[in-house]
Amino acid sequence: DARVSCHRHYRSRPTHGIGKFKYLLPKEAPKKRKDRVQMKAVNVGTEHEYGDINIQMTSYDMCLVEHFAKHVHRLCNRLSIRVNESYAMPTKTNEVLFLEERGSKMQLDAVLTTHQRVVQICGLSSTFAPILLEIIQSNQPEGVDLLVKEHTEADFKIRLKTRPELEELLAQMS
Amino acid sequence: ARAQPKKKKKVDVKREQAQKERMKKKIRKLEKAAQEMIPIEDFVTPPKYLESNRVRSLPPLSSEETERRVLLMKKWSLYKQKQDEAEKKAIQTLIASQQAALKELRLESEELYQAAIKRDEGLFPFERDGPNYTPPLPDYDPPEGKCIDITKVYTQ
Repeated sequence: DARVSCHRHYRSRPTHGIGKFKYLLPKEAPKKRKDRVQMKAVNVGTEHEYGDINIQMTSYDMCLVEHFAKHVHRLCNRLSIRVNESYAMPTKTNEVLFLEERGSKMQLDAVLTTHQRVVQICGLSSTFAPILLEIIQSNQPEGVDLLVKEHTEADFKIRLKTRPELEELLAQMS
Repeated sequence: ARAQPKKKKKVDVKREQAQKERMKKKIRKLEKAAQEMIPIEDFVTPPKYLESNRVRSLPPLSSEETERRVLLMKKWSLYKQKQDEAEKKAIQTLIASQQAALKELRLESEELYQAAIKRDEGLFPFERDGPNYTPPLPDYDPPEGKCIDITKVYTQ
């Protein structure tokens, strides 16, 4: 701060306020709340563009799914498709048990972790959509399931933590 | 259950209102706090891999081996480059042929062209399972079993 240094600039002097620059920068909006806004582009009309589309890749193998997500993201960059965000969904863990041949006890077979990555794109034109799907499918690695769907608020809500106390209170109120 | 003695109506109503106010305040306080995202376990390194005594000591490579590896890398990168270029070319031909077809369609009939340009509602959601090295056998009789979901549930 210019006024804390040893050379004081009085308010009457022409050097007052020298060194200030923050007023020139654009104002940053305070980023506090998690944004629930979903930007939906023109859905029907002469533009013939899709809104937010989620490309969800699921697999048991984390490296494969991450590499595939990276490939899809770079592909969209190369084809000048706007990528809103590229995130990971929470990992799901499953315990697989099977019944032994001579016994009634379930035995643990394996612990499987399911990983999911999502690439969200926007502004895909209706003529280019089938081409993009073809390219993604041709590069799909083994064991990676692909799901392309439109983005909804429910998809966003799944990523958030549950608030049981709030829900309990709300249930009590009504 | 607490027996409700026959008190005057005013006191009951007041108490109920006070309770409701307290609940509303609590709800407002909870709602004000920003919603947190579930942490992704994939991005958290398990502590056992952070130990510093995990060091891999590789044997030194001979010059023929390094030579072989460098040449192999060059051949591999050339192969991948050709593959990538072929893919890009395929995309270009796809787009070009699509545009040519649409142009012809427009010359044929404007109505059909307009209908073709419109977005396909039935396209999404689109699902496709990845190919498998070992697809499921048709006559296999699997043992009885079950799958339990043990994902950790995070609450705020």
